[in-house]
Amino acid sequence: MNREKKIPLIRLSKRDGMESWKVWCIRAGSVLFALALGALVMGLAGANPVSAYGVMISGALGKKSAIRQTVKIAVPLLGCALAIAPCFKMRFWNIGAEGQITAGAIAASYFALFWAGRLPSPVLLTVMGLAGALAGGLWALIPAFFKARWNTNETLFTLMMNYIVIGVVRWLQGGPWEGRKGSQIIPQFDEAACLPRVLGVHCGWIIVLVLVVFMHVYMNHTKHGYEIAVIGDSVNTARYAGMNVGRVMMRTMFLSGAISGIVGFIVASGANNTLYDGVAGGVGFTSITVAWLSQLNAFAMVGISVLLAVLSKGAETLQTRMAVPTSISDIITGILLFCMLGCEFFINYKLIFRGAGKKEARHG
Amino acid sequence: MKKFLALLLSMILALSLAACGGGSGQPSGGGQSAEPQPSGGEPSGGEPSGSEAKTVKVGLICIGDENDQGYTYNFIRGKEAATEALAAKGINVDWAVKWNIGEDSGCEDANIDLADEGCDLIINNSFGFEPFMLKVAPDYPEIEFIACTNQASWGDSLENTHNAFANIYEGRYLAGVVAGMKLQQMIDEGTISADQAVIGYVGAFSFAEVISGFTSYFLGARSVCPSVTMKVQFVGSWSDATEEANAASALADMGCVMISQHSDNTTPATTAEAKGVYHTGYNNDMISVAPGASLIGTRIDWAPYFEYAIEAVANGESFDQDWCHGMDMNAVVMTDLNEAIAAPGTAEKLAEVEEQLRSGKLQVFDTSTFTIDGKALESAFALDTDGDFTPDSEEAVFDGAFHESYFQSAPYFALSIDGIEWLNSAFG
Repeated sequence: MNREKKIPLIRLSKRDGMESWKVWCIRAGSVLFALALGALVMGLAGANPVSAYGVMISGALGKKSAIRQTVKIAVPLLGCALAIAPCFKMRFWNIGAEGQITAGAIAASYFALFWAGRLPSPVLLTVMGLAGALAGGLWALIPAFFKARWNTNETLFTLMMNYIVIGVVRWLQGGPWEGRKGSQIIPQFDEAACLPRVLGVHCGWIIVLVLVVFMHVYMNHTKHGYEIAVIGDSVNTARYAGMNVGRVMMRTMFLSGAISGIVGFIVASGANNTLYDGVAGGVGFTSITVAWLSQLNAFAMVGISVLLAVLSKGAETLQTRMAVPTSISDIITGILLFCMLGCEFFINYKLIFRGAGKKEARHG
Repeated sequence: MKKFLALLLSMILALSLAACGGGSGQPSGGGQSAEPQPSGGEPSGGEPSGSEAKTVKVGLICIGDENDQGYTYNFIRGKEAATEALAAKGINVDWAVKWNIGEDSGCEDANIDLADEGCDLIINNSFGFEPFMLKVAPDYPEIEFIACTNQASWGDSLENTHNAFANIYEGRYLAGVVAGMKLQQMIDEGTISADQAVIGYVGAFSFAEVISGFTSYFLGARSVCPSVTMKVQFVGSWSDATEEANAASALADMGCVMISQHSDNTTPATTAEAKGVYHTGYNNDMISVAPGASLIGTRIDWAPYFEYAIEAVANGESFDQDWCHGMDMNAVVMTDLNEAIAAPGTAEKLAEVEEQLRSGKLQVFDTSTFTIDGKALESAFALDTDGDFTPDSEEAVFDGAFHESYFQSAPYFALSIDGIEWLNSAFG
């Protein structure tokens, strides 16, 4: 009896090797559970949940123009998730993608604003893309260098770097690059500096799809990818194997920042046709969720980023058609993400209740 | 395995229960949300007045939401008043509103969305929305687009784009008169000396709209209190409650005995109250938050314009591409005068000056009332035609006055006149 009391009501134990069909059942279940919870929220907000979900889906995918907008939302999410995947694989917590996007956008905007008349459009766009990649990469290299050299905390470092570069954009907006005096708005780019449209959406979507393949190959079929995986598993093993951990870190962060920088170029040149302090718009953070949900699998990221884009576009439509505040759909998105990430816990661990413990013991 | 299946089954059961729960909640909730639309459409549709009822679907894109109690809230008041006025004319307005839209490609999407939803008219409420609206407008020539407070429509070669503003400088001038009378009263009573009559102005940015606003305010005050001077502090944000309060507080500490503002929050009013100085407001009646400080406020009333534009669309008529009216069409209104603290005779003086403004007898920017670097203003351009953001055509100074909002609705008075000290102009 006494011993029995000491056992807590619920215990956790690591689970290994669950059949994959069960895993997928749990995942599907968590999505359904999230949708049901979301329905409850919508009901409270005074909307019919069934038609609300219908409106969200038709709003995001029902029309050609809606699909285009959904794709436009998904592009930076996907691109940025690809960028942070190698860092996270290496267990280098880069939460500075927001700033790296912004740095890339600044560099691309410089050429868009001041070189538009001097270069033909394809050359200009290439230069803008390269400049974006370089700027994003260098911005990311700074915390990587400090981490490699003095083992600084990369989480805080990359986060703080975001605010600096966003501050730079604010200064540019109100200062040297400002259009109408006092407006705080940088003029729209020349047409030559805007990404051309393919199938109605700026061609950034092609760039990120190419990056998906690149990232898949890079992570799974190259020596670099292997080094990243080893460092992620154990830095000591990597050292023992003779890898220069600091060098790999800096190289990977540069690559990560460069891809973020390209995303910045795509957003500034393709979507906004201008630069402003919200150019990253939280993508750098949301894409962490995308990367995590897809378990750093490049192809899964396509699906997850589209899912999030559908939710966000659908929420907009929900607001216009049913007068549901967008914050409600933010709540639903939050519930969905929480459940999807949370279910991984139940895949990796099992709960043992006090009473059930005895049975387990008997079996075992 | 059995256990797992049992778990799965119970999960599904729980889920379906939850779904039913959501479902049973829906008839009442859904009924509530679904009802307003038909009820909004039916009664006037079934009105026995005989005239056929028209319905116009209007989209409104807002940078904030009505909780800001300032900029967007003012638009919503206009929207509601216009809806009512139009209903009386047999025109139903079916609104689709988008809140909290950023000045980026999200605004472009919002315009496309509303166009696809079948709106006949789409109103963009913020200055920075215009470039994104202009990307959508050419694709929907049958839909009318309005960019409030901006300025491209007179020259963008599109038939379906419109700009609108109000002559808010008239309201500012009147608020200035109220402030000036209070200051003169304080001088006459010996509370302050003549050179202590200093106004502190909290401005957002050194943007033409703001400069035009504080200059007209200052001229209004000086018309009744000749010794007044003004200090302007820019906060570098259209809406930052804390910074606005800090600026107001700093101005009061510098000896300003009257605070006014061109920013979205009520914190300058509450700060003025706490510092024991007076205040005149913008966008909203601020007497409720600062009963001992707030003398009066002025705001744009968007209802007359909305009514005008929507009625034109309903009747299939074209309407002005660049609309700007003031007191003449009640597009600029004064909030209630705080009689308890205003100088005696203010209401009468206000009515008198208002009448002079309406009749055109009084010009706010009368060039005989101000100087720039000691010289009278003889020439200033109004419009920028080559896109370099510097006005280069249309002489605004004629008939003895600078004609504000005459060539385009958006204000273009951006000169620094004597008597007003800019404490910082870092934001421009």
